Amino acid sequence: MRSASVCLALGALGVSIYLAIAHLTDPEVLACAASGAVNCVEVTTSAQSVVAGIPVAYLGVAWSLAMVGLCLPAAWRARAPWIRPLRLALATSGLVFVLWLIYAELFLIRAICLWCTVVHVLTFALFAVVALAWIGEPDASSTRAGA
Amino acid sequence: MIGAIVLVPVLVSVMVIVALTKQEESSAPTGRGGAERAAALAASVPVSVLDAVGMGSGITPPRALPPDTPPLAVGGVPEVVYIGAEYCPFCAAQTWPIVVALSRFGAFSGLGATESSAADVFPRTQTFTFYGATYTSDVVVFTGVETETNQPAPGGGYTPLQALTPEQEQLLGTYDVAPYTDSPGAIPFLMIGNRYLSVGSGFDPSVLKGASRDEIARALSDPSSPIAQGVNGTANALTAAICGLTENRPAAVCKNPVIASIAAQLSSAS
Repeated sequence: MRSASVCLALGALGVSIYLAIAHLTDPEVLACAASGAVNCVEVTTSAQSVVAGIPVAYLGVAWSLAMVGLCLPAAWRARAPWIRPLRLALATSGLVFVLWLIYAELFLIRAICLWCTVVHVLTFALFAVVALAWIGEPDASSTRAGA
Repeated sequence: MIGAIVLVPVLVSVMVIVALTKQEESSAPTGRGGAERAAALAASVPVSVLDAVGMGSGITPPRALPPDTPPLAVGGVPEVVYIGAEYCPFCAAQTWPIVVALSRFGAFSGLGATESSAADVFPRTQTFTFYGATYTSDVVVFTGVETETNQPAPGGGYTPLQALTPEQEQLLGTYDVAPYTDSPGAIPFLMIGNRYLSVGSGFDPSVLKGASRDEIARALSDPSSPIAQGVNGTANALTAAICGLTENRPAAVCKNPVIASIAAQLSSAS
């Protein structure tokens, strides 16, 4: 479970970096159809591709980097009481943001970006892993308190 | 927590189903976002490409109005008025050269994405809508009116979008008739300062058939493409006509030998 989480976070980071590079250079470098319902350029250059002046691709990189850090084996083993709730909170915030992006693609932009969808799936999987770990493992601090 | 894991795929599935259902219900869906890149490309066609195209091929330039026609202006600044509709395929085509030409005199912002009706000729021609867009320029005022959407109305026709002002009604009533046009009442109606008039598309909309907005926008930079020949050729003719209103400002545009040559042709045709 723990190794899966870091793999998922690394996968999300890789695709986010790819999308960020495309944003920095030329959106047309994305290996993705550019017409019809699947249109990465339409999505990555839309008004919804920027939030509060920050490109969503950059937010994806920052979020993935944070998740990689929080999902490293050392982070899973860490005893600091804030790590588990922070990991879950970040995974949840990522999932909520992804739901907004899916809504934007379907109803506002009316186009789907395949690479973005890969990140969305990885984000959901990461949330599932983190949530299941939260349920399945006793809180480190309470474990120590009970010992 | 388990509930959230189950709920998310269900929620996404519902959103996808609703989106697909809405698309099926609509014969010609309109997206108001996602046009930024295509609009930026249309607004920045290289001058070398425009010059290479010249009048292009098979275009219908705007028609000069009698010299005694009272000028159309707002606060002393000449005005270009476009009256069209989102469902209209000829409007969809004509919007491209309008954006290309006017972008040489100022800048658009907020151009939305739309397409012509799926149930008309040249179905789903990809284009921009002027509804919600703004245009700023020091030398010319542009007013774009989209009278109807591309969404069918329950009682027939298309749902209304923007109402015409009395002045615009009068403009149509006066000039969208014979002898100024061979197609009375037709749109798109483009009045260029009451000096030039264009009714209908300046080029054959079939050159845009099947092309996405991005593909059209990219083709504008290839002077040999039929799209560039039609769109840029019409845009050059519109540019030359607009230069006739602006006292050849900006000079970088209006003193361009190609534009000056087209302007001379338009004048001699009158």
